[in-house]
Amino acid sequence: MTQSIALNAVQLAFVLLLSPLFAGILARCKELVQSKRGPSIFQPYRDLRKLFGKDERISENSSWIFRAAPYFVFVVPLIVTLLIPVLTDFPLFFAFAGDMLGAGFIFAISGMFFTLAAIDGGNPYGAMGASRTRMVGFLAEPVIIIVLFTVSFVANSTIPYIVQQHWVHPPANFFAPSHVLLLLAFFMVLLAETGRLPVDNPSGHFELAMIDESKALEFSGRSAALIKWGGYMKFVVLAIVFLNVLMTPWGLSSDGTPAHVAQAVLLVAFKILLLIGFIAAVESSYSKLRLFRISEYLAAAFVVSVTAMITEMLHL
Amino acid sequence: MTPLLAELNALVLGLFIISTIAMTVTRQIGACMQIFVVQSLLLAASAFLLGASPFSWHLFALGCVTVLSKAIIIPWLLRVLVPNEIHQRRELSQALDVPTTLLVALGLTLAGYAFAQHLVHAAPNLSPGNISMGFAALLVGLLLLAVRVEAVPQLLGLLAMENAAFLTGIAIAPDFPLIAELAIAFDVPLLAFIVALLARIAYRSMGTTEVGALTSLQERQ
Amino acid sequence: MTTLLIPAVALLAALWCAIPRSGRAAPAVTLIAALLAFLGSVRVLWMLHLGATLTIARGWIETDPLGAFLLVLIAFVYVTAALYSWGYLNVQEAPPHRVRLYHANFNLFAFSMLCIPLLSELGLVWIFVELTTLLSVLLVSYALTPQAVEAAWKYMVLTLLGATTAVLGILILFWSLHTTGSTDFTWSGLRAAAPHMPHALLGAAFVLLLVGYGAKIGLVPLHTWLPDAHSQAPSPVCAMLSGIETSVVLYVLLRLRGVFAGDPALHAGTWFAVAGLISAGVAALLIVQAHDYKRLFAFSTVEHMGIMLTAASILTPYGDTAALWQMLAHSVTKSFCFYAAGIALIVTGSRDIADVRGLLGISRIASAGLLVGGLAISGAPPMAVFPSELAILRAALQAHGYVVAALLALFIVVAFFGVTRHITSMLTGEPSVTTGRRVPTTCVLALAVTAVPVLVLGVWMPAGLAQAIESAAKVLGA
Repeated sequence: MTQSIALNAVQLAFVLLLSPLFAGILARCKELVQSKRGPSIFQPYRDLRKLFGKDERISENSSWIFRAAPYFVFVVPLIVTLLIPVLTDFPLFFAFAGDMLGAGFIFAISGMFFTLAAIDGGNPYGAMGASRTRMVGFLAEPVIIIVLFTVSFVANSTIPYIVQQHWVHPPANFFAPSHVLLLLAFFMVLLAETGRLPVDNPSGHFELAMIDESKALEFSGRSAALIKWGGYMKFVVLAIVFLNVLMTPWGLSSDGTPAHVAQAVLLVAFKILLLIGFIAAVESSYSKLRLFRISEYLAAAFVVSVTAMITEMLHL
Repeated sequence: MTPLLAELNALVLGLFIISTIAMTVTRQIGACMQIFVVQSLLLAASAFLLGASPFSWHLFALGCVTVLSKAIIIPWLLRVLVPNEIHQRRELSQALDVPTTLLVALGLTLAGYAFAQHLVHAAPNLSPGNISMGFAALLVGLLLLAVRVEAVPQLLGLLAMENAAFLTGIAIAPDFPLIAELAIAFDVPLLAFIVALLARIAYRSMGTTEVGALTSLQERQ
Repeated sequence: MTTLLIPAVALLAALWCAIPRSGRAAPAVTLIAALLAFLGSVRVLWMLHLGATLTIARGWIETDPLGAFLLVLIAFVYVTAALYSWGYLNVQEAPPHRVRLYHANFNLFAFSMLCIPLLSELGLVWIFVELTTLLSVLLVSYALTPQAVEAAWKYMVLTLLGATTAVLGILILFWSLHTTGSTDFTWSGLRAAAPHMPHALLGAAFVLLLVGYGAKIGLVPLHTWLPDAHSQAPSPVCAMLSGIETSVVLYVLLRLRGVFAGDPALHAGTWFAVAGLISAGVAALLIVQAHDYKRLFAFSTVEHMGIMLTAASILTPYGDTAALWQMLAHSVTKSFCFYAAGIALIVTGSRDIADVRGLLGISRIASAGLLVGGLAISGAPPMAVFPSELAILRAALQAHGYVVAALLALFIVVAFFGVTRHITSMLTGEPSVTTGRRVPTTCVLALAVTAVPVLVLGVWMPAGLAQAIESAAKVLGA
């Protein structure tokens, strides 16, 4: 039992410490694609250190929600990390504390607080961003639910660890049409939920066009650092759900020995790097969708996921 | 069929149905043509995989002919005969908006699967995925044909329907004599040629290729 | 060898017309090719009557009496349409290269139709049926007006949609043939294997083929392209489309009926009857409200296709004979009607029934043609369609299909009423619109040549022709 708690702590550390690195690598990749040199991959660490050292400015008219939201945004991805298979493919101590639907609801807590805080801050762009985020969120909901239902139907369980085991036994499941369709649907939702192109431009500066970024405009100092870090961790957590649970549950250690866990850290990081490369390619290939086209994008994801579900039900 | 080939075929079928959905979603004529090329290549891949063991040279020939005529000749024909200035804008217009079209396509996919189940039960040995996906893609192609307004996207919907029909065909009739290869090699490029010519005539007489918007010939009230 | 020469002649004429220098000679070359094709087809019919077997490639290209009969029909309309086009295009004053291209396309279209009765392998037949569509699309849009383009586009889209559905049906049919162990994918092979085929597959193939080829012959509700295409095209092309193209596809459906009748649980006859009666009924009503006289004749084509399909659904030898007789009568009469309509269009310049008044005063030929044609196509004695429709009603009554016979009679009467009302309203009254153009001699000649079978076959059936229809019906029902 101590071993599984220790492994949980290692997972938390993995997500906590390496997420800014992955964010930096993604930013550098995109810049390289555009033939620029780009910032150093360690720049997010420097940004966080800078922000932690700065003063905070909080509006007098804001309520406790504005003060509490950054903590929620920071802590929620860490809680979800406890539930998903990051480095091991056998269930750890907190594995049965919540299933995938539970993880979805926990993400909803942070989303709710962040959205309310954006309105609470009094910044007009914040309110606009909050309503747009909600629109993207509710359109992505059905897709997530159908994806989760389909994989649970295959695995007869909603616990991520068990789902991940069943997706590749027997190997024929990996090539099944429903698998490819589910991956596509979840990838489209991943881009929408983490605010990447073609849904939202994470490196844009034009507030009228922002969806996710404008919610964070009012925060400063430590709150801004927590929100940034929380954002990086949310991206890494969703990527891990995509990679380890849905796509390729390989590279995870089957026993908890330190050597294998270290190897798992490297392999999972490598997988995330491949995904980052792919996301950089996708982001560089598409322009930002106009706001009303986002519903078409997510409708397409919905259709893909329902087709996956039907295809799975008919055992095609 | 060996398990590995069956698995790869299943992957190809998944990508085929994705390409059908992509054709429904896309809003640009050029992208629509590229997705059609991808779909034809996937059809050829499925033909190669199904014909690999037990070896059937019919299917190999069909795959090669599909690549040649649908992935190379037809896009070239369309690019030469219906160049970009004939498309008023790069985007295509539809009679229904995209989310509605997507939902209808979903319903048609369900209907296609349902209709195919009858046939699948009659032939448990043949690849059931090919038959079901083929029927579903046929109906979605029909939807595209009905909903699109410009000439070239309608043609691409029709060609997608033919792709779907042959996807079913390669599973149920693997040794269909020469006809299928002849049809794909000559009939389909001729079809594209004539449609392209008609699109040019439409452009010259009307200034646009929006043939779906022509409703002047009807019974008077 | 004669059988192959018939379509080859048309193909060669098309290639000749495609050469840039031949603008002047194109119509003459087309006519010569058509005459040769007609003589060849009569010879083929004669050879079969004498008992020869005309098999070029076993399992692929075989000609039997039914095919030969259809061949004669196609060739006859080809001749008259070629003759008519000569003068018709002169009136249009089209530039020489457009005339040349028209004739090249026309010959290719005739080539594709001439091939179909010679083929016995179902896949090849499908390819050539699709070719008939592709090769006639540009003919329909010949006028280059937006309406012609719209008509051509609708025609192409709906028929190719039908062709794609049909190919799926053919593949399923092949699959079910495979399950019986045979690989003989010809008409006779399929009929032999039909009783052993799995019911589910045969049913699926039946639905797909009926819908697919039904779209091509204009069965309701997939008939919407027919009035547009058959009214916007130049009149000789309309004659070819209405007179023989729909008949050729109907021939394919009738051959397939033999396959599907092998499984009694499918009730192929009942479904054919339902489809035929619905088409005939809707077409009769559409005739009554027609506003354009070429569309009027196009609706009449839909009605006759429905009648012929119903006749074939009776599944008796007499019913088959009647259906084939009706096919012959319809082809010659419908082409006659369209030639008359073309002349009326030349003389008045308008397609609207409401615009045209007092045609008797404007042009005697046009009015005579429209009157005779209208009466003939709606089944009035003593013209060709009357005895064949009577035969169909008799066949239905003999087989105790009282409801079918009653409905058919009702629809024929309604159509008669509609057609004669419109035609007489056009003929009588003060002359309204006129273009003052002279009717070309070749058009009148084509009209006269077509009038011969229309008038003669109503009172007397030559023994040879009767014999040909009998042996053809035997092939259909055997």
